[in-house]
Amino acid sequence: MTGDELLSLARDAMAAAGEAEVEVTMKSTKRGFARFAMGDLGQHMELSEPQVLVRVAGGARRTRVAAASTNHLDTVSIVGAIHSAAKASVEVPETEGFGGFTRGDEPEGERPTRYADSTARMDAEARADRVAPVLDGIAKAGLVGAGALETRLTSLAVATTRGRAVSHDGTTAQLKVWALETPGAGGAAGFGGQTHRDVTALDVGAETERAIRLCRLGKGPTSLAEGRYDVVMEPAAVAELVEWLASIAFGAPAVEQGTSVMRGRIGECVTGDAITMTEDPLDDGPAGLAAPFDREGVWRRKVPLIERGVARGILYDRAAAARAGATSTGSALLPDGVSEVGVGASAITMDGGAAGSVDDLIAGVTRGLYVCRLHYVNGFLDPRHTVMTGLTRDGCFLIENGKLSRPVGNMRFTDSFLDGLARVDGMTRERRAVPTAWSDAGAHVVPAIRMRGFRFTGASQSAVSA
Amino acid sequence: MTFASPDASLRAALAELARAPDVRYGEVHFVDETTERFVFRDGRAEEVTRGVHTGASVRVLGSKTWGFACTADLTLAGLVGAAREALAVARASSRVARTTVVFPPAEAAVGTYETPVVVDPFTVPLADKLATLEAPVRALLATGKPIQSAEASMEWTRLHKRMLSTEGSDTSQSFTYGSCGMQVTAVDDAGHAQSRSYPVWVGGNAFQAGYERILALDLMGHTARIADEAKALLRAPPCPARVTDVILESSQVALQVHESCGHPTELDRVLGSEISLAGGSFLQPHLLGTFRYGSPLVHLVADSVTPSGLGTFGWDDEGTPAGKHALVREGVFVDYLSSRETAAALGRASTGTMRAEGYNRTPLIRMTNVSLEPGTGTLDDLIADTKDGVYFECDRSWSIDDLRLDFQFSCEIAWEIKGGKRTRLLRDPLYTGVTPRFWGSCNAIAGPSEWKLWGVNSCGKGDPMQLMQVAHGASPARFRGVTVGATGGVG
Repeated sequence: MTGDELLSLARDAMAAAGEAEVEVTMKSTKRGFARFAMGDLGQHMELSEPQVLVRVAGGARRTRVAAASTNHLDTVSIVGAIHSAAKASVEVPETEGFGGFTRGDEPEGERPTRYADSTARMDAEARADRVAPVLDGIAKAGLVGAGALETRLTSLAVATTRGRAVSHDGTTAQLKVWALETPGAGGAAGFGGQTHRDVTALDVGAETERAIRLCRLGKGPTSLAEGRYDVVMEPAAVAELVEWLASIAFGAPAVEQGTSVMRGRIGECVTGDAITMTEDPLDDGPAGLAAPFDREGVWRRKVPLIERGVARGILYDRAAAARAGATSTGSALLPDGVSEVGVGASAITMDGGAAGSVDDLIAGVTRGLYVCRLHYVNGFLDPRHTVMTGLTRDGCFLIENGKLSRPVGNMRFTDSFLDGLARVDGMTRERRAVPTAWSDAGAHVVPAIRMRGFRFTGASQSAVSA
Repeated sequence: MTFASPDASLRAALAELARAPDVRYGEVHFVDETTERFVFRDGRAEEVTRGVHTGASVRVLGSKTWGFACTADLTLAGLVGAAREALAVARASSRVARTTVVFPPAEAAVGTYETPVVVDPFTVPLADKLATLEAPVRALLATGKPIQSAEASMEWTRLHKRMLSTEGSDTSQSFTYGSCGMQVTAVDDAGHAQSRSYPVWVGGNAFQAGYERILALDLMGHTARIADEAKALLRAPPCPARVTDVILESSQVALQVHESCGHPTELDRVLGSEISLAGGSFLQPHLLGTFRYGSPLVHLVADSVTPSGLGTFGWDDEGTPAGKHALVREGVFVDYLSSRETAAALGRASTGTMRAEGYNRTPLIRMTNVSLEPGTGTLDDLIADTKDGVYFECDRSWSIDDLRLDFQFSCEIAWEIKGGKRTRLLRDPLYTGVTPRFWGSCNAIAGPSEWKLWGVNSCGKGDPMQLMQVAHGASPARFRGVTVGATGGVG
């Protein structure tokens, strides 16, 4: 179903249900997922994922809010969900300050390009054909291939009894490819990855070559002592830390709870003046993937989060905004199957710097580490101070005198990310889009960075030394 | 409990598979899931959601490899269409596959399974459930400054699953899952925040049972303690960085088992098919039967039969019956969590662990109830027997490397142990280790009276990501010579 078809269905269901204050959010995802591992295409799937979330505000003042969900895109099922939510709503306590669902006269903004027919129409045969040369190339290099090629068409619609009616169709294509020394026992690993709304724009060959090159470079690692190191991080590593920062700091719930570094600090310096981060879900560049409106049908907008090191903004849905006396930023997350509510970022862009390449950043390091990706980052250690831990993965190299000197085993870091960003003294001009890891919300666009004195608290052990 | 499934559609899909000459094996799964999720935060109902989701999936093994498709359209045309789509995927993949999947035959699984439930949570009035959450949140907030925020949540899932296979399997299973818990956060004038949870963080403890578990949980009976502890933590010193003996409370042992035993014994990770999310495993096949994973006190088992465990079922999604399998016996690594395909790769039998999150995901090897068997004595005995150490409770953060060796966990709270007594409170405690060295240093495990089964209903694995219900039983345990510190202080 297209976004417009979903919207039509939502309106019909609302009319049939006859409830006064209703919001219907519909999402239909068609996902082709060719997952390969151990040098072979072993898990290939066609996934159909329809989702409907309805909310009803009941009670005499229409401030008692309850929700219901279904995965059936038909009038009877949606009307059933509306009635279920309506029945529940009368038992829910009143929500103070609830101002109703989104109105039809609330502003709509620009509609960035999000759709590519090539991605929407790619079938299993075509995906297999794109994966085959990846596996061949890695096998010819004497390595083991793993990864996934995903093509996704997402259609959305939000309608409310207050006249909101918006719809959207977007596509995402994502390649992840690993070249590995062993299938699952560790050893050297190289990663390549790219995302774009148009599957034909993915440079599958270049990303495969990159994975092979990094895997070859990573063979025979030696261990390195813990301590503070200057570090050059690839965008994939930076994006993972940025996504964690967003989840513990930028959403209104963390601010209300008191665990966000942003609480009470808007207008204050929270990191270095080289750092600017903006939630920019309407970015019309090739990396733009996020839908233009949120779960509540509020048009998303550009939100400065950190501007030259100074805390500037928080992300709100309607309810959190009402409590804070602010305006929704269009940051109510779409239903993802885990939780039906939530507030968060879908497209953070981090300003780049002047460096022409990652090599330029490396050239400015006397002794440090070049980190390609991170693994199992956790930002719950001390959210108020943005302390995170995690490990390097898929390539970690010692830099000596401005050049890569040798591969090192994976290292664990434990440090404050914002404190670390205050020590960034170089970033690439070029930025890359890295898809959001914990949802299909969009992608974060970040540069490679050079950070001084990042704290590594241990070297990971190899199976040999275990 | 009986449930309706679209029998004609399921059988038509199966017939579609059986007709195809290149099909070696096929499964059709029907899933009917009813959910409730309630969150009460800071005096307001943050989320009150009920959901009904039904759908079906088809997994088929073609001439060389697998295909998978799913649909929410449960009509005959919808299911047959999904079967054809899965076949098309299997054929497209088999055309480029380099190897042929070996999938051993198995006896047909036929029967039913149902969660024993005393009080059906779906018959409990909504108002009662909300009141169960609202009262402790208001009580926590009423303790006053520096309490900043309080939250309580409850979730219920009723899951009906029907599986038919080309081998003649026909199983019907009904599960009732629940979870409940609360958390309070205190923030001082300087902006330092400390949280305490009961019974554990991340949505509370999860279980396979009915509403009787909520009645036994007694949230109200624990509000004063966790509020007091959150406040006290703001004034407590950080956990000093040093190497010392550590005692972990049972939910923390459960998480330790989850991350450092459960995941590395998943045979799909071991063989390499999970690289695109979470990595591989250090427990490679050449170590099977000889590798010293832990001290002789350490017995780890995977079972899918323990009452109320989130990993308990009648059959897994391939029709392998539930059972109990030792993973580590007297400290030696002896078996994997496996599927029919992966076990066959090692010439072994499946340990029956294939499960899918829902109708729109393919089955993967998932933990069942992976548990540490109890030792002797009590937690108090362990503490009394420890001259110098730290006692950790309630996980706050978790991280482990891509082979499941190097880990770091931090907890909400710890106490110093001096001369066999629990003494001063310590804030921001964390500990680090390397899996086999850590388990090798285990020198005491408390007995059956302290053994608790902890449920995790959000174990992430697969690509696209799937969340699964798994469980871990554990008693408090002691580990010798562990590196500890505070989240701001190690290294």
